[in-house]
Amino acid sequence: MSELPDLHKAMAEALPVYEAPASLQAWAREEAKRADQEASPHHTFSAPSRARVWGLYQWRAAAGFLLAAVLGWGAASVRPGNGAAAAASATTNQLVDAHVRSLLPNHLLDVVSTDRHTVKPWFAGKTDIAPPVVDLVDKGFPLLGGRLDYVDGHSAAVLIYGRRLHTINVFVWRTTTAEPRDGSFEVRGHSLLHWTNGGLSYWAVSDAAPPELEAFREAYMQ
Amino acid sequence: MRKADKAPEVKRLESPQAGRFERIVLPHLGAAFTLAMYLTRNTADAEDAVQEAVLRAVRYFPTLRDDDARAWFLTIVRRVCFTAYGTDHRGADVISIDAAGPQLVDDREQPDAATSRLQVQQRVRDAIDQLPPLLREAIVLRELQDCSYTEIAAVTQVPVGTVMSRLSRARTRLAGLLQDVVDFGDVA
Repeated sequence: MSELPDLHKAMAEALPVYEAPASLQAWAREEAKRADQEASPHHTFSAPSRARVWGLYQWRAAAGFLLAAVLGWGAASVRPGNGAAAAASATTNQLVDAHVRSLLPNHLLDVVSTDRHTVKPWFAGKTDIAPPVVDLVDKGFPLLGGRLDYVDGHSAAVLIYGRRLHTINVFVWRTTTAEPRDGSFEVRGHSLLHWTNGGLSYWAVSDAAPPELEAFREAYMQ
Repeated sequence: MRKADKAPEVKRLESPQAGRFERIVLPHLGAAFTLAMYLTRNTADAEDAVQEAVLRAVRYFPTLRDDDARAWFLTIVRRVCFTAYGTDHRGADVISIDAAGPQLVDDREQPDAATSRLQVQQRVRDAIDQLPPLLREAIVLRELQDCSYTEIAAVTQVPVGTVMSRLSRARTRLAGLLQDVVDFGDVA
């Protein structure tokens, strides 16, 4: 009995003390410098930082990777239990981050359209990735629009579909050799489904249940 | 306790010293992020919360007196976590069925001490995870971030007595889950 650790020791051993992600630190340092420079008796400090807007996109992408890879608070639920699990969890974490970010107000869509004839040409002008754009409203997945994103080192074309009250983000990029294998994943309560076809890698991300994503893939790939 | 800061009324009218925010607040970024991680339990939200907290801290910095900048900054962080990021501070006292069930690990028969240590660590993490947010916050600040009762009271903006009661409730709950692997002294 006497060799049991006390709570302090047990917690210190079991729980990580986190470092702020490097990109967040860098952003905060800039913000601090700016604040210290602008500090003056009549300054109100209320001007929104331009660095912040830029920062949101910039550091989130890197930070997700760093933390997820090292600590994996929620990453333990990444399914494929093979050696590629760490790489897969980095990718899936970033995808979930991008998905969650897209649900913030005004982040979801760059082109709002339920018309595939609008969405597809829009992509054609912006990226060399040309994912099939199909409206699946009769199958219960209305097309909401499209967006460009940058995830895990890839430029991605993103198709957004609805599923009842859920949103499905479909990230599409050129297949690379270092891809996690096809299959379904679960990260922090979000479902991911990965498949590859015709040199393109697809990642559907949603808070809808995994079977819904399977149904979506079937409808989409027909 | 620098001379120039002695008189708060005067201080606010003077230009803060160059690099002051960076020097006084930024060293606590890691502590802020750690607290946010344990409150939101989600990397993305923790990052957003800390970012928002930095912006608020910049805005309210002139109101910071000579007291503890860490407690002051952590107060902002936890407020952001509880308001903007949906951490439910009312703390539903619900424990999931998985968590409440009996631990099916018999430590005496572990073939391998290292495996058993990892399992203990996982159980500690799970137990902390299941605490209601206010209790989790108190115990994390106390045991992981080495805050004094007074500091915790400052951060969570409740009397020291409330802090002690929360810590004691947290320990009692943890003792219920971890009694066989952690020495709780006379708390359990």
